[in-house]
Amino acid sequence: MSDLISAEKKKILVCCGTGCVANGSMKVYEEFIKHLSGLSDAAAVEAVVKSTGCNGLCERGPIVKIQPDDISYFKVRMEDVPEIIEKSVLDTKVVARLLYHDNTTGKSFRSHKETDFYKGQYKIALRNIGEIDPGNIDDYIERGGYSALKKALFQLSPEEIIGIIKKSGLRGRGGAGFPTGIKWEECKNSEGSPKYVICNGDEGDPGAFMDRSIMEGDPNSIIEGMAVCAHAVGAEEGYIYIRDEYGLALKNMSAAIQEAEKHGFLGEDILGSGMSFRINIVRGGGAFVCGESTALMASIEGKVGEPRAKYIHSTKKGLWGKPTVLNNVETWANIPEIINKGCEWFNSIGAEYGKGTKVFSLVGKVKNTGLVEVPLGTTLRELIMNIGGGIIGDRKFKAVQTGGPSGGCIPEKYLDLEVDFHSLESVGSMMGSGGMIVMDDRTCMVEVAKYYIKFLSEESCGKCVPCREGLRQMLNVLQGITRGEGKESDINLLLEFGEMMKEASLCALGKTAPNPVITTIRYFMDEYLEHILNKNCPAGVCKPLTMFEIDENLCRGCGICKKSCPADAIRGQLKAPHSIDVSKCIRCGSCIDICSFKAIHTARGAEK
Amino acid sequence: MYNFYDIVKKYESDRKNILAMLQDIQREYNHIPREAMNVLSEQLDVPLCKLYGMATFYKSLSLRPKGRNVIKVCDGTACHIRSSQLIMDELEKLLGIKPGETSRDGEFTLETVNCLGSCAIAPVMVINETYYGKVTPAKLRDIINECGGKDNE
Amino acid sequence: MRIIIDGRNCEAEPGEYILTVAKRNGIDIPTLCSSDALPGIGSCRICVVELIERNKTRVVASCIYPITHEAEVITNSQRIIGIRKTIMKLLLSRAPENEHLSNFAKAYGLWPSELLNIQEEECILCGLCTRACEELGANAISTVGRGTDKKVSTPYDEPSAVCIGCGSCAEVCPTKAIKAEELNGTRTIWGKTFELLRCKRCGKHYAPREYIDFMEKKLGEKSEVDYCSSCKKVMQAEKFRDIYRI
Repeated sequence: MSDLISAEKKKILVCCGTGCVANGSMKVYEEFIKHLSGLSDAAAVEAVVKSTGCNGLCERGPIVKIQPDDISYFKVRMEDVPEIIEKSVLDTKVVARLLYHDNTTGKSFRSHKETDFYKGQYKIALRNIGEIDPGNIDDYIERGGYSALKKALFQLSPEEIIGIIKKSGLRGRGGAGFPTGIKWEECKNSEGSPKYVICNGDEGDPGAFMDRSIMEGDPNSIIEGMAVCAHAVGAEEGYIYIRDEYGLALKNMSAAIQEAEKHGFLGEDILGSGMSFRINIVRGGGAFVCGESTALMASIEGKVGEPRAKYIHSTKKGLWGKPTVLNNVETWANIPEIINKGCEWFNSIGAEYGKGTKVFSLVGKVKNTGLVEVPLGTTLRELIMNIGGGIIGDRKFKAVQTGGPSGGCIPEKYLDLEVDFHSLESVGSMMGSGGMIVMDDRTCMVEVAKYYIKFLSEESCGKCVPCREGLRQMLNVLQGITRGEGKESDINLLLEFGEMMKEASLCALGKTAPNPVITTIRYFMDEYLEHILNKNCPAGVCKPLTMFEIDENLCRGCGICKKSCPADAIRGQLKAPHSIDVSKCIRCGSCIDICSFKAIHTARGAEK
Repeated sequence: MYNFYDIVKKYESDRKNILAMLQDIQREYNHIPREAMNVLSEQLDVPLCKLYGMATFYKSLSLRPKGRNVIKVCDGTACHIRSSQLIMDELEKLLGIKPGETSRDGEFTLETVNCLGSCAIAPVMVINETYYGKVTPAKLRDIINECGGKDNE
Repeated sequence: MRIIIDGRNCEAEPGEYILTVAKRNGIDIPTLCSSDALPGIGSCRICVVELIERNKTRVVASCIYPITHEAEVITNSQRIIGIRKTIMKLLLSRAPENEHLSNFAKAYGLWPSELLNIQEEECILCGLCTRACEELGANAISTVGRGTDKKVSTPYDEPSAVCIGCGSCAEVCPTKAIKAEELNGTRTIWGKTFELLRCKRCGKHYAPREYIDFMEKKLGEKSEVDYCSSCKKVMQAEKFRDIYRI
């Protein structure tokens, strides 16, 4: 570490993504402002504090980074601010206790870039997030922002732009993975005017928050991407559809559009090119189905979000029956980089069935939960065990759910699968929006299947019979199984309904709805049979089929489980074996998690 | 007097903005009053049944007033496998209402929401605009008391 | 354009629905939500067929799939029959007492092996009634809610304020779930009772005043309220006969 005080301006980047804000980062940010403004003019260092978007490792927030020294602090509280300023802003020292500590190896890291979580990543869509103030367009421009738009307007023809996107191999990042270049080309070649460009920001997959982070943390990357497309296909109007629940994304995107207009990147005669393009924001109404492209368009038109059959592509007849390009947030965020760095560059990253990178939300029972961006072709093991740090509590890995409610649960034997569009489909799942939900041995796969079907039965638009009635029946069967009323014929019934829904449903929601059920039956048949034939839930989740027992021989009577129990269900004297009152127990598992002697296990549910 | 006419004008009396108008009304009045539906129907020349269809389709809209504190428990997959159902069960016990219901004193409405995008701090709960991460059943009582609520048992 | 349906060569105009072409060539594909007057709903999915286009086979709804290329269609393979049977299982579990559905299932050999988790509905949410009300009526009804609890109703489930009693919804319903009760010269539908006008010529009760008024406003021309439509036709024919001395 240098003793010289850096002559450059110091930048203090405080993460203000929704996750860190929930952990109090706004207060940290305000504290920095307060203290810095109080610095006397005698201080030799100039410093500026910025609030940035999500850094990805929300688990360890609030996150504060110091540039250009490249120091990263985690779990920062208001009280830490004066010390950080004293040591890392006015000087070049570090506050050791706030650095990233790896609990397994005992190592500390100065920069987040050295940690397992970050060093395996390659950021394209997330390139600016956590490094810029999303409300400051100059930050974006400083890092090359809007240079792609300038190149597109003044150095490339629409055909050339489409050619670059086609050759790059970029496929949609929202779920279907349709080749983006071909989509743009179809729209360009379609007759009809006006044409529209839409951003699908209705991120509804539970467990996915990459779109939220991009909309909050780098809204200009989306605006620029859409403007490039508008020029390529000949559109003058665009819509960004943002989920109702994403308040900060709505706010930041709206502000970014206004700033972009002020700077001439949107509006009439952009940068003197003669091209005009303006973007409207539409706020969702709390309907997952509106993430489906035709339902989204119906919603923009002022109707209920019911999908229509896609026999005629939206690129021919989309919004108000006109040629429309609809792409996902992450897809848009990739566009400026591809235009700037070229299609060969993008093509060189990734795998055969998936070029470039993908942002995954690695969540669930994994130690390092958060957003990660890796080249496609990275294995599940790399993602979950290395970057993710393995399972919480070092429990056993059971499955990873990819693709949200449209995807499937992938078991341990496929951990070395190289993640791309094709490989995930080959095991019965799909890429989806990039949700990656890690499950351990305390997750019941039958309950997971029931959970997804319940979700979809409430979110289905209800228009077509296979989806609406199929989900109702499947939910009924799964609820029966988890209540201990399952029958052997239930498995075939679930498969019968599932196969029919896949073929006959009107839209992708219905067609992919059976995937979680079909994959859990395929890979976890034993668990289903345990529920049905033995009325037992091995994972200890389905309440009527399980109870927890303390093993007298292993219990040391330390009493920690008793203290942790939220239901006051554990009895016992100090140093004597404890026991659980089954009638009070809410099966939360806090006792199992906290017992250092592994003295508590699941057992068959009490007989009814 | 409710200023529904202003809301229609704000959105240029354009039918495509019906959802936005309804959401503004929802935010302002905590529900969609019948009068609002009639005004919108008349001003936009849209059949009342279509507006009613919209108000019942989109879950961010409600026809009945919500409580002073709207508690949304996230039941997204990450929160679900980190036991969000236990949070929900505890809240049901504490407040005496089920998801979708409002307490009789109008203080609390309990809802499930499917993924707030804060999966890394699961299980997550939002009360009005405030986020609570890594919620446990033990913490709930204090959080509810903070909102000025008493245990409605 | 040529398409082959169940081995038979058929001619089709680009953009024509498979179902239309099949019907024209005497091939009967079962449907519930399809109506010539109100095309393009595609919600019941019974009319699904296998479509082989450019070496790819897909299952599509024949009532809304527009023909754009030469293709082959199979309407009654094992795969398709299996799908239809499962759909009927779902529908009959929803509405087990409905005669029209039962007859339909039996007629097409789609009677299910069992019914599950049965409800007591009559409506199958095909969407024809709301469409009819929108295009032919006064927009009195719509779908309410979404997902498994979706239903068709008037706003707030109250007796309709705007219904004109035309009965198009009841007419078009494939399961006759909408009841239009006629009694002593009145018709009651959606909670509203209408006085029916009486034809001066044949004496039949034929339409509510509200419906006539509505049509007048819509078409911009006054219409004869004294006669029912069949009598009007007969009277018109008589007029022609008198004019042209036929």
